[in-house]
Amino acid sequence: MNDELAFLAMTALAIARALPVTVLLSVAGALGSSGLAGVLVVAQATRLGRPIAQLWIFVFRGTPLLLQMFMVYYGLAALGPIRHGPLWPAFREPVFCAWLALTCCCSAYIAEVLRAALAAIPKGQIEAALACGMSRWTRVRRIIAPQMLRLALPAYGNELVMLIKSTSLASTITVVDVTGVAQLVIAHSYRTLEVFCLAAAVYLGLTAGLTALLRRLEAKLMEGPRR
Amino acid sequence: MGEDSPAIVLLGFGAEGWGRALIAGAGLTLMVALAAMAIGTVLGAMLTAAQASRWRGLARLATVYGLVLRGVPELLVVLLLYFGAPGLLAWVAALFGLPSPGSPPAFLTGSLAIGLVSAAYQAEVFRGGLIAVPSGQIEAAMAAGMGPVKRFRRIIAPQVLHRVLPPLGNIWQFNLKDSALVSITGLAELMRTSLVAAGSTRRPFLFFVAAMVLYLVLTSASSALFRMLERRGQRWAGPA
Amino acid sequence: MIRAPGPRLVLALVLALGACHATPPPAGLRELVIGTEGAYPPWNFTRADGSLAGFEPEYLRVLCARLHRRCRLVPMDWDGMIGALQTGKIDLIADAVQITPERAAVLAFGRPYGLSTGLTATLRNGALADLPDRDALMDFDRQGPALDAMIARMRKALAGKVVGVALSGAFDTFLNQAIGPGVTVRYYRTMGERDLDLLNGRIDATIEDETYLRPLLATRDGAGLVLGGPRMIGGTMGRGEALAFRRGDNQLRGEFDRAIEATLADDTVRRLGLKWFRMDASPGRGH
Repeated sequence: MNDELAFLAMTALAIARALPVTVLLSVAGALGSSGLAGVLVVAQATRLGRPIAQLWIFVFRGTPLLLQMFMVYYGLAALGPIRHGPLWPAFREPVFCAWLALTCCCSAYIAEVLRAALAAIPKGQIEAALACGMSRWTRVRRIIAPQMLRLALPAYGNELVMLIKSTSLASTITVVDVTGVAQLVIAHSYRTLEVFCLAAAVYLGLTAGLTALLRRLEAKLMEGPRR
Repeated sequence: MGEDSPAIVLLGFGAEGWGRALIAGAGLTLMVALAAMAIGTVLGAMLTAAQASRWRGLARLATVYGLVLRGVPELLVVLLLYFGAPGLLAWVAALFGLPSPGSPPAFLTGSLAIGLVSAAYQAEVFRGGLIAVPSGQIEAAMAAGMGPVKRFRRIIAPQVLHRVLPPLGNIWQFNLKDSALVSITGLAELMRTSLVAAGSTRRPFLFFVAAMVLYLVLTSASSALFRMLERRGQRWAGPA
Repeated sequence: MIRAPGPRLVLALVLALGACHATPPPAGLRELVIGTEGAYPPWNFTRADGSLAGFEPEYLRVLCARLHRRCRLVPMDWDGMIGALQTGKIDLIADAVQITPERAAVLAFGRPYGLSTGLTATLRNGALADLPDRDALMDFDRQGPALDAMIARMRKALAGKVVGVALSGAFDTFLNQAIGPGVTVRYYRTMGERDLDLLNGRIDATIEDETYLRPLLATRDGAGLVLGGPRMIGGTMGRGEALAFRRGDNQLRGEFDRAIEATLADDTVRRLGLKWFRMDASPGRGH
């Protein structure tokens, strides 16, 4: 019994040490993919950017993230300009490759969410804003952005939950995150269930925490004048 | 083993080519996704029924199942089944006084893992679909003397199907992509095959591009199929 | 899985009925089923077209021909192989099984047909190209001050370096238990992934069986690699490769032992080693 407790404590400690990696990947991935998604949405409004953005979304939504991770980590590293170019110090690091794959993949999903929200804003509002003589920037700031935020938030939140879960794939390219630690502990101790339950609890905590946060934000946004 | 051969030979169907293995891998990917989808539909329907159940304990259990399986990484579920299944199987075998049968087939544990996750999402979709049928309609059907089968066929199914098909198509796409996670159990589906080919020929870029193309074929073909079904479904359901 | 006893019971009944009518067929006529992983190159691996190839598939063909027995190789995961042997699904295991005391407690090993040691591979121009104790024998079955000193030198040389190994293999255990936290260990699921990272310089070194490393070095990509460090043997790394039989299956084991003896004497094992490992991995070369 004491052995069991000691093992659990040791495992919990190991997982706690890896938690910053998972959190860092989640936060950096959320920032990177949201920014890139914004670029994709804007690009879709231009004639040149439209096909590029659409191809990007098609490829990253149509293939597994695991494959994208391997592509960034092993595939790109095999290319001369990456392997012998100035970017190698970054690509050498598994964490960077995991972040890059996460950012590219999630940006495609988030761009779709944003595009749907943009399409849902009634045309009349924008016309009214134009009629009021609002400048382009004021229009975005006062009419489009707040509406998009409210319309996109639930689906955007779902994507962020997915992103947190997806960070676990970084363990397949040698990143020692929460899932990576869990696998190592199992491989060396042959105890499965308790280790996975601990790791699962961490992810549940993170996703539940984010969901609660988003729900409060949503409630706050709904408080404002609606319809 | 062929690392000096040109791409066309490596991706071809000759003795040195991985073409056949990649196509077979794509077939296996499709099978895993189909099995996971089927498991998810059956279990998901059961979860929806459980959530609507009068027994509060059962309903709560179904809710907790959904929360956990939607909040935990799919990779963790795959790993749990992969590492945990032999022990579980040995335990079950011991109950019947049998020797440990070893590991269950990777296909089974893999599609079960993806199916367990799929069920949690499908249950949500089914629940949403059921809510879409106003209770007044069901009462009216009952008043008109329709039996439960007729009620389901004529009133519930057309409306639910119409609502459920697009999100189910989404879940199918996720199953297809999540099946790549089963590669870590050693099952030679598309992801695993491309990884083994990349490793043994040391041409990762080539084989991962090939795998991406095959995944894109699978995902876009199935999304075209679902769009066709949706159009059919709309016609069948009549004007909503 | 609850249905599992069904077919087995039927089989037992059929066998029992058969026994009433006739004597069982002579053992020489029954096909032998041999378990192998098909994923441990160059000992055994699966070709692009799905066929099994490597040292063991070829060697087993030779052995079976000598014994005048029909044999069939079935690929299966290592996890389930010992269980399959014990439940009689397979008759023997040919999967470069290293002879270790723990395994000898549950399996009956035949005469070894291979003896390979662990070596360190690094990039030719890498930070670890000059490891101490080059080619010295590091025998984990001979505990003592000599071994401890060797491990200490290895620990010092690897300090601060990144070493990649296959997860939960014998070399993983060595790095974890003997070398300790001074070295960063990266774990890989397949050897192919580890090779890619070794070649592109993400890891400083790997420790692997010489029989795997020699053919890698012979490829165009592997030309940039060098082997170094002590030759590791014994302990969890085992003392040679052998076929594994069910305990008590002495007749079959005896037959195979005689055939292995003959192939060692007539140079077959050495010849196959040069073909698949690019080295002679037959036992009894003085280790």
